[in-house]
Amino acid sequence: MLGFALKNMAIKKVQIILVVLSIMLSAGIGVLAYNVASQVDDGITQNAGYYSVIVGPSGSQTQLAMNTMYFTDEPLGTIPYSVVTQLQMDGTRVSRVIPFAMADSYNGSDVVGTTAAFLDGKSIASGEMFDDTTTLQVVVGYNVAKINELKVGDTIYTSHSAGGTDTHAQGLTVVGILEQCHSVYDNVVFTQIRTLWAMHDHSEAYDEHGNEEHSEEEHQHTAGTVCAILINTKNPAYAMQLANEYDGMIFNTADGESFTLQAIEPMAVVRDVLNDADNTKYIVFVLCAVILVMNIMIISIITLLNMYHSAKEISLMRLIGVSMKKINLLYIIQNSLVGLVSTLMAFGLSRLCLTFMGDYVASMGVVLNTGKIYSLEFIILGGVFLISVLPTMIWTFFTSRKDSISS
Amino acid sequence: MIEIKNVTKQFQNETAIDYKDITFETGKSYMLLGASGCGKSTLLNMIAGILAPTQGSVIIDGVNMTEKSQKEKDKFRIRHVGYIFQDFKLIEDMSVMDNINILRLEGVDTAGASKLLEVLDIADKKNAKVKHLSGGQKQRVAIARALVKSPDIILADEPTGNLNFAIGEQVIKELIHVSEGKTLIAVTHDDRLAQYFDVVVDMNDMTGDRRDLNSKEKEGV
Repeated sequence: MLGFALKNMAIKKVQIILVVLSIMLSAGIGVLAYNVASQVDDGITQNAGYYSVIVGPSGSQTQLAMNTMYFTDEPLGTIPYSVVTQLQMDGTRVSRVIPFAMADSYNGSDVVGTTAAFLDGKSIASGEMFDDTTTLQVVVGYNVAKINELKVGDTIYTSHSAGGTDTHAQGLTVVGILEQCHSVYDNVVFTQIRTLWAMHDHSEAYDEHGNEEHSEEEHQHTAGTVCAILINTKNPAYAMQLANEYDGMIFNTADGESFTLQAIEPMAVVRDVLNDADNTKYIVFVLCAVILVMNIMIISIITLLNMYHSAKEISLMRLIGVSMKKINLLYIIQNSLVGLVSTLMAFGLSRLCLTFMGDYVASMGVVLNTGKIYSLEFIILGGVFLISVLPTMIWTFFTSRKDSISS
Repeated sequence: MIEIKNVTKQFQNETAIDYKDITFETGKSYMLLGASGCGKSTLLNMIAGILAPTQGSVIIDGVNMTEKSQKEKDKFRIRHVGYIFQDFKLIEDMSVMDNINILRLEGVDTAGASKLLEVLDIADKKNAKVKHLSGGQKQRVAIARALVKSPDIILADEPTGNLNFAIGEQVIKELIHVSEGKTLIAVTHDDRLAQYFDVVVDMNDMTGDRRDLNSKEKEGV
């Protein structure tokens, strides 16, 4: 029966290919849209959940979160490093404190000043992690190294602004190159926080600009300031406590300067952002649903037309004595094969697209996992399979009841 | 033995055909002659269980087929009846062998197909698509499909209808040859072929008085 079904399909290959392509595209797009939306959602939330609290200057919560986690937008400003020291002393509630500063650029790539702990979990492809106790060392992201053909031991010269020509005279040594992360980390240069201070300190020891004039903003990364502080607490309750405590705090330095701080729980901020963005996601889903419904109709019509055009062949088989039961079974097998192949191809197409979309989505700090399958994807594919078989079953049900033979 | 008793067939257009009682004996070849519309093909279809008589009985080897369900008639047809249709009833885009192997859907053993195709002199075409064959070759494929299951009854509706006389005559000779020992009932309009059959029945006469055809052997030859 299977062999005959395959031969019968082979003689209608153009129709069969059209049906398979139609089902594959509609189901593939549906599954892909759902998978990407879900993975981006999950990925962004997971990234945000990596730190319990972020402390920074007052201003936009979203800007603080996006700048520190995805290196987007400009920093809100600076706060004194003594806040870091104060938090480090809070051993009861705090497990890890990481200073974060973003200033300068190298051939368009942002330079982030931090500690080695910021890159925990990231693998070094060659060289080693920079040493927190020294300065003027950098670890470069995979793309930075690739685009600029950097290798360990090279010296790079950063500039004050993105693409700027105002280059620091002091060179930085590449001590390590990160493995490809498929994320924003691939496009960033990481250095010790003290290196940034050193580059922007205009004391005699570090004055490297000669008589050039620099804006206030360019000079804000002077020794002892950071753009944000990333904190891990020992339990979630402490995170809430710290956020409440530091949000809106007026912090006075020893030399009489005062800074207004803000503290955010990044997970909550990102969830708010995603909730706003969800409207867009729903529009995408609605569009996909419309495509799916249209394709369901197309698939049903094509299947029924195929069956209608097979009427001559069915009549022929009936005349030589093949029972309606066997004929129905033959067409159900044929359409099940079409449905099965189409849904498998749709699944394959969605995985293929996921691979190609990986780099694009990585700009949001999310690495797409082609092996990640959501249960709803199986439901979509199962539904599509049923849609491809159902019209045949309905057709065979009615034709069985109205046999042309012996009329 | 096939017995046609008191059979009437009425169609939806209200045309009715009344058949006289006819008996077809096992092992003999019958040629049905007659004008178009006199009910020759209808008779074959009723014997094959494709059409049901409006009245009367079709009795095959003592079994009244009229009382059987369509499913039983289908089963009987696939096992015991080899039907050669006027328009061949072949799937044009399929190969010769695949057309014969359709019967496998119902569990019919088609192992003898190659030998039969050799006898019918089209063994070299067994993998060719039917649409690439000539009318005579298609007819031979139809014969092979009808005979591969070694049926007890062979029904042939205008088996030479699409062929010129020379080829038609050859086909009839081959049909008679491969049907030896079975009941062959062939409908044809060409009385030149009558010499090859055991019994010739003029169907124009079969709508009048009922009579036993076997007492009229070679009538009309």
